[in-house]
Amino acid sequence: MPKDNRLRILVGTRKGTYVVEGDTRRKTWKVGPVSHEGEEIYHVVADPRHPGDLYAAVNNGFWGPTVQRSKNWGKTWKEIATPLAPAKKDRKPEMNESDPATPVKRPINNLWHIEPGIASEPKTLYLGADPHLLFRSSDLGASWEPVDSLNNHPGRKDWAPGFGGPCLHTILLDPRDARRLYVGLSAVGTFRSDDGGQSWTPKNKGVEAPFLPNKYPETGQCVHHVVADAADPDTFYRQDHGGMYVSHDRMEKWVRIGKPLGEDFGFGVASPASTPGKAYFVRLDGKGRTTGLGYFQVQEWNDKTRTWRKLLAPKAFPGDFGVQREGIAADNLDPAGIYVGTTTGQLFVSPDAGKTWRLVPYQFPAIHSVSIANPAGS
Amino acid sequence: MLEVHVDGWLREFGPKSKEQVAADSVAHLIDVLETRYPRLRFKVRDETGQLRRYVRVFVDGVDVSGTTGVGTPLTGARTIDILHSIAGG
Repeated sequence: MPKDNRLRILVGTRKGTYVVEGDTRRKTWKVGPVSHEGEEIYHVVADPRHPGDLYAAVNNGFWGPTVQRSKNWGKTWKEIATPLAPAKKDRKPEMNESDPATPVKRPINNLWHIEPGIASEPKTLYLGADPHLLFRSSDLGASWEPVDSLNNHPGRKDWAPGFGGPCLHTILLDPRDARRLYVGLSAVGTFRSDDGGQSWTPKNKGVEAPFLPNKYPETGQCVHHVVADAADPDTFYRQDHGGMYVSHDRMEKWVRIGKPLGEDFGFGVASPASTPGKAYFVRLDGKGRTTGLGYFQVQEWNDKTRTWRKLLAPKAFPGDFGVQREGIAADNLDPAGIYVGTTTGQLFVSPDAGKTWRLVPYQFPAIHSVSIANPAGS
Repeated sequence: MLEVHVDGWLREFGPKSKEQVAADSVAHLIDVLETRYPRLRFKVRDETGQLRRYVRVFVDGVDVSGTTGVGTPLTGARTIDILHSIAGG
């Protein structure tokens, strides 16, 4: 696939995949290939190791989930291998509470997140699925292996689903070390592996679980999304059901940062490459699950000054907007582009790290995920 | 020999028109179809072997999806319809 200099916004919606094409000015956009009509796309992602390659987590309400790949920036897609729920012998089975002797057989319900490996592992992919499953591919999705150490984790018997189901939705890779991985599961929390996924340790210290009797358990937090600081792979920003947090020590401990916002509920978070030490959240009303202010707003966290800044003038975009866990993304240009997709199908873009905002002039279906295919060489 | 019809959306993965199949149960019938049309695998049934939630199988016009399902015997049956149910929004 020849390289080109277009920047693409990859939009996964409740009714299909949209590739929105622009350039480094990020002022005009063209809605390009539309695919997977009628299918729920929980995540679409570009593989920066192989320009032109996109992966989609396609969840078809009738025929089940499939992993699909495009080799031409989304013009055409092909179904590749889709992992299966590990057989009973490979995984501790879900127990049937009324009849513990008869395990419940559970298929994979939905695919949630696809993460291309780091540059030194050009054929590696990771995939997160419901129910609470992690898979690894060493051949770019021709086959998948369950990560048994996590899928059979001894704590699994206590893992509960969130409202979106028992999903493994966040996968983070340390760009310096292929042995270090992080995952986020709802409503379980975050885990870290330092040995290439052979063992996993819960990393939720300091994160409140306001819906549990024990407010600070080892696991049981409902993490919604986590991103790494682009300049510091040991720093993470976390949007949890129980608030907004930062960790500076590979998730060893979390510090709540959201309290100055009042309610610090939300789902998504992004941290652009050109704004180290900054993270962008969309605070939501915990009950209504929308911005709830009567207008669109994005909150910027400055980790150096430990202060918050609201980026939009009140009433710039009137309405109440929902944003899901994969709904906020950033590009790697300078100044940073920030992108927010809403559950009512608006796609907001700031080409200048939050100074100005505009809408892509297109009404999408409900947006599940937004990610960026950066221009070649950027 | 059974005469099998699949609906329009499933034809992307399976037979494009009526298919003749010899099978003694719904599970056996789907096994045969999956052998002939590998892309049908895991579309009609999930990996536990059960019919997917929004798939309907009719044996001589009777919907067996919510009753005997894949275990339905097909002795004496003549026609099978595999359809997706009315769902979504």
